[in-house]
Amino acid sequence: MADTTGVSSSGSEGVYFDNLKAAPQIKAALWSVWILFLLAGLVGMGQRMFYGHLPAGYGSYVPWGLWIALYFHGVGMAGGVFALAALGHLLDLPGFQHRSFIRLAIILSFAAMLPALLGVFLDMGHMELAYRVLTSPNFTSMMAFNAWMYNAFIVIAAVCWYLSYKEKTEWLKPFLVAGVFFCAIIPSQSGAFFGVVGAKESWNSAILPILFLVSAITSGAALLLLVKTLIGPSKKSADGMKDEYGYHQVLKNLRIVVIGGMAAYFILEWAEFSISYWNPGGHSGSLDLILFGPYWWVFWIVHLILGGVLPLLLLISKREGLWAIGASLVAVMFVSVRLNVLIPGQAVSELSGLQEAFQHPRLTYIYNATAMEYFIGLFMVALGMAIFYVGRRVNLAATKWFQ
Amino acid sequence: MNRREFVRAGALVGVSALASASVVIKDRIITSDKDTTGKETARNLKIRAVEKASENEDILIRMQRDLARAMAKPVESRRWIMVIDQRKCVGCSACTIGCVAENKLPPGVVYRPVISEESGQYPNTKLVFTPRPCMQCSKPPCVPVCPVKATWKRPDGVVAIDYDACIGCRYCIAACPYGARTSDFGEYYSKGTAFGAGEAKENPLVGSSPYEEKPNFEYGKSWSRANHGSPMGNARKCHFCLHRLEAGQLPTCVTTCIGRATYFGDANDPDSLVVEMVAKNNVRALLPHKETEPNVFYI
Repeated sequence: MADTTGVSSSGSEGVYFDNLKAAPQIKAALWSVWILFLLAGLVGMGQRMFYGHLPAGYGSYVPWGLWIALYFHGVGMAGGVFALAALGHLLDLPGFQHRSFIRLAIILSFAAMLPALLGVFLDMGHMELAYRVLTSPNFTSMMAFNAWMYNAFIVIAAVCWYLSYKEKTEWLKPFLVAGVFFCAIIPSQSGAFFGVVGAKESWNSAILPILFLVSAITSGAALLLLVKTLIGPSKKSADGMKDEYGYHQVLKNLRIVVIGGMAAYFILEWAEFSISYWNPGGHSGSLDLILFGPYWWVFWIVHLILGGVLPLLLLISKREGLWAIGASLVAVMFVSVRLNVLIPGQAVSELSGLQEAFQHPRLTYIYNATAMEYFIGLFMVALGMAIFYVGRRVNLAATKWFQ
Repeated sequence: MNRREFVRAGALVGVSALASASVVIKDRIITSDKDTTGKETARNLKIRAVEKASENEDILIRMQRDLARAMAKPVESRRWIMVIDQRKCVGCSACTIGCVAENKLPPGVVYRPVISEESGQYPNTKLVFTPRPCMQCSKPPCVPVCPVKATWKRPDGVVAIDYDACIGCRYCIAACPYGARTSDFGEYYSKGTAFGAGEAKENPLVGSSPYEEKPNFEYGKSWSRANHGSPMGNARKCHFCLHRLEAGQLPTCVTTCIGRATYFGDANDPDSLVVEMVAKNNVRALLPHKETEPNVFYI
């Protein structure tokens, strides 16, 4: 139902996904997690504000740590979430065709991207000069190019959000296509961000942008699946009625994307590792670090078992509740993918003996994230949850306002 | 999607792609010169220029004459290079310490560490020392990755940093294969140490000692660390002591080298000692496969 102004009315179809709510128990659990993360996060923010970078574990030989991994994970998920929702809408897939679903995905996308940008902001030596990336950009730098792309994406996503309320517009789909274009660029750019660094042997690979793109789609699908499972109607209540909004069909589609994305990611990862490991000219030191270094467990346990095998088993089951657990494992554990690119890539010196030449804790190739870094990581998650919560309320308020 | 929507989508994507490509191409092709060039960049350092050459003179004297000659030319006519004779280097690290003192480097920041490598088996062992300043590469990988154009290649070949523009993202640090850039995280030598006598012994210093707040004079400017001032929070690196060159002094690492193993001068001057050293010896560069074309050579 639409009025003469071309603005969507309050028809239940139009706001179905705006109105979805989590079950009381889930709501209570989410509030508890949020408060816990926020409190820990505020401790970290306080440390960062009062002591600068001094409590951080990164240094000059491993200049980027946990926040940068979370940043790339966040922007990747933001791109993945938007791309999947937009593509589903453009292809008219069951459940995806509702505009309220687009709005949900846009809010979720912002909830992933904005905390990610906070992470890289806090990582800077001069946060007060961050604006210079936009006012004096050097587009030969992938970092400046990235920053502009994020802003362009945010603008396009905001326009899509606004247009989603306009029933008769013929601009929503064109903007969704443009958004998908940026979503394809953003995660692959993140891979190129590392790939262009010829100084780091393990980064300088053309497969990295593809790996980042696949992991963005996979983790984005997992995040959407998780959120929709948490805030959607239970399988039990839906069994008795027709799934007229395609809600459960969306879950099934997302589950397939997650499983397919994981399979694609592991195949690509195998391709990368096999070339590097069987290279007769000597295999990469970074790969040794990933597989057998002090953080071997990040690859074998966090990435392979908790982020791969276990979610795969949960996702192939028929119980939607288990899908949520599987999806949350993928969404969280895929940060190990970023860490496994980021840290081992930096932890190998091109000049042997450099670490011993001048000794200082910030001049080592060993990186351990500190409590402050973990706390701020939790703050980023809490901020994302808050943005999602507030964003959904804005969605509802806007729906009423546009009526 | 109907035809009109399809055309609009194509236009949006096309314009976005075109705009993205054009800004990248523009920055790749057009490189604006941040430095002053021409006559006013020449320096008349008379004192050193009039000193006569004498037999068995210290090579520092000759290099200072070379320096005065080079500084008399406009900046774009000079090309600074460094030659390090590893056969003469004893690994004393005087250059490292001299550099720390000259540039008032805080803990964790180093411009010229000396790498020690031991080879062979006892008793036939050998120690080789490799001082590693910034290579001032002709194709510096640190420059194009800077998101705000805060680092660039000067006309005289030195890769400089504008501390006022640097946002401290550390991308340049990751991009340097030599590890020649370090980040100033704002550490102090005296922080946490006890000071004074009596009760003061029990009270570790909270901030820094006054001497650590003194400004340094890199790039010919006074940089104070007070209130998180740059270069705190910035990437830092060796700049061949540009501020000393302007005053007719050789880089600190050259003058403090007890074995006279470090040579410095203008590669465009055929009469300079560095050119002679490069011509007479088989010089090598570090990590040549990285294709950065370093301007520091090793004998």
